[in-house]
Parts: sequence; C-alpha cells; structure tokens
Amino acid sequence: MLANGLIGLREGLEASLIVSILVAYLVRTGRRDALPRVWIGVGAAVALSLTAGAALTFTAASLSFQQQELLGGTLSIVAVAFVTWMVFWMRRTARSLKGQLEGKVELALGAGGAALAVVAFLSVAREGLETALFLWAAAQSAGSGSAPLTGAALGLTISVVLAYLLYRRAVKINLASFFKVTGALLIVVAAGVLSYGIHDLQEAGVLPGLSSLAFDVSGTIPPSSWYGTLLRGTVNFTPATTWLQSLAWVAYVLPVVALYFRPLAPAPARQTASV
Amino acid sequence: MRRTAPVVLLALALAGCGGQAASTSSASGEPVRVSAGDTSCDVSRTSLPAGSTLFRIENTGSQVTEVYLYGEGDKIVAEKENIGPGISYDLTAQISAGSYDVVCKPGMTGDGIRTPITVAAGRPAP
Repeated sequence: MLANGLIGLREGLEASLIVSILVAYLVRTGRRDALPRVWIGVGAAVALSLTAGAALTFTAASLSFQQQELLGGTLSIVAVAFVTWMVFWMRRTARSLKGQLEGKVELALGAGGAALAVVAFLSVAREGLETALFLWAAAQSAGSGSAPLTGAALGLTISVVLAYLLYRRAVKINLASFFKVTGALLIVVAAGVLSYGIHDLQEAGVLPGLSSLAFDVSGTIPPSSWYGTLLRGTVNFTPATTWLQSLAWVAYVLPVVALYFRPLAPAPARQTASV
Repeated sequence: MRRTAPVVLLALALAGCGGQAASTSSASGEPVRVSAGDTSCDVSRTSLPAGSTLFRIENTGSQVTEVYLYGEGDKIVAEKENIGPGISYDLTAQISAGSYDVVCKPGMTGDGIRTPITVAAGRPAP
C-alpha cells in the first residue's frame, strides 16, 4: 500500500502544485471570478485522462510503448511552453502592481483568461493518462485485495492536501515574496517537466542519447524511496539523468531565471500597465 | 467558447492516437506472463513467434518495479515503469525475429533481473 501510495503522490504532486499556484495567483490579484476557468481545465483533463485510460485498460485499444512516450513527451514540452508563458505573465503583473496598494489589485486578464484553462488542462493532462492507467490497473487488481487502489488514492489525496497547504501559505505571504517564490518554483518545476519530456522522447527513440548518463545517483536516492518520490514528484528529479536532459535543464533554467529576476523596470505609464 | 477549443483539439489528438493503435493489439494466442518479484523475474514462455505480443506483467513483489523488453544492444523495445505491488499491466509489443531480454527492475534501479527470450520468424501475416 505504501509503495502504491508513493506512486500516487508522485503522479499528483506536480500538477497539484502548478494548479495551486495558479489559484493562489488569481486570488491574490482579485480575480476569483476567473477560477472556474482553471477548474474547467482541470476537470476536462481529469475526465479525458480517465476516459482514455479506461478505454486502454478495458477495451482492445492499446497504445504502443513508443506512442505513449511520444504522447507524454510532447504534452510535457507543450506544458513547459505554457507554464513559461504563465510565469512571465505573472511577472508583468508584478510590474504593474509595483507601487499599488496590496489587496486592491484588479488585474485585467486579457488574453491570459483563455490560456488559464489551457495551463491548468496541460498541467493535469500531462501525466493524467499515466495516472489514469495506474488507477484503472489498481482497480482491476482488486482481486488481490483493495490495497493497491487504496494506496494509490491515498497518495493522490496527499498530493492535493500538500498543494492546498502551499496555497494557504501563498495567499498569506507578502505580494513581492509571492511573485519571487512562486516564479522561482514554477521555473524549476517547468525545467523538470522539460527534462522529463526529453527523456520520454529519448525513450521513444525520437531523440538520441538515452544511455549517455550525465550522472546516476540511484544508489543514494532510490527512486522508490519517499524522498526520491518527493524529488521526482515536484522538480522531476531523476536519479539517473542523461546528458541531453541535463543540458536542456540548464539551457532552460539559466536564461529564464535571468529574465525573470532581471530588475523590474518602473511600469511605463499607462500603455502596458493593463495587460 | 474559445477557451475550450484547445481542450477539444487535445482530446481529438488523444483519441486519434488511441484509435490508430487499436489495430495492433490483436496479439496472437495466450499472453506471455511476466511475474516480477523482488528477487525474481519469471517469464511464462521464452520462445515466441514474431508479431504483436501481449505481455501480462504482474508485480508479485513488495517494491515498485519496472519491466523492460530489450532488443539487441539493450535497445528498449517496450517498457512499463511504476508498477506498484499487486498491480498487473498489459504491455503490447511488436517483435520481430531475434534475441531479446525481459528485464525486471525491482525498486526501479540497477541492471535488473534478465530472462533471455528468442523470437522466431515466420508467423504468417494476419
């Protein structure tokens, strides 16, 4: 039960983190009215994943290993693009908020409104199919007792609870710290998703270098341990990482961090203040 | 409605993938059973005909495991990660004539436990 719980925790953690930051951000910027868009994205991803997972589990339909990896890898890289967009969208807000009284922010969502649903959708759908396959397989294995399903459900629940706690914390800290912390967190999470996507594409045979490992610390950080699970579930740290994954990670993190944390120019008077 | 458009597109993309692949799962005969334990990796048949083959993997151990089908030079032909204890998965793979290894990696680390299998050519096309 513990082992299955850890799988559930890992699968649920990253999506829950991204969604909780998105929700905290909307609450902080006085846009609770946009929350349904986030929930639409989440709901659509959950429904789609469960349906596709059930079709693959209970009917003759099947995805080959390569197709699954290709799907996972592509969705991951698209998700990175959207999360990166979200990070800089938030940054622009931080700039327009500068000097304004905290709590009196009325953010104009602009084009961001539609994309909110997409970010939420992709964050959940990315690993949604794999999680759904895991849940359905656990449900199907009920012959060997209900332990696998209970464990899986428990792990997913804990990931949501952890994300809720993060949200509670995020709505309390001051706004300047909020943008710094959530921005940094999202960048590291997105870099991990990119690395994960690259690995999927390497496994699918689309990208080379699957066996050229930059490092392998699986002896020190076993992937099945609780800390290995947390590292994997949050920042997608894999104990055995290929060179291509490492390079992609660095090539993403360095410029994005530099751009995100460059000094905020004083908001140019009216034109760009409301995005 | 424009906010739901990308969602619908992705749904179609997913459905498209599933539909396309559906035809490949007409694996012949009995599935090959793989019992992946903490210290064992039992494969029910080690001589197989070429073609679409269904591997029914069951984690009989206490650790999370992963099962690979390696071809020549340890090229991954198929793989299933994160198989929790007590959980079964069906893995379909297209295999042609040659030598393969079924590899279970309890705890998802290390070189794993290998069982060599041989695939013979000559199964008539369906």
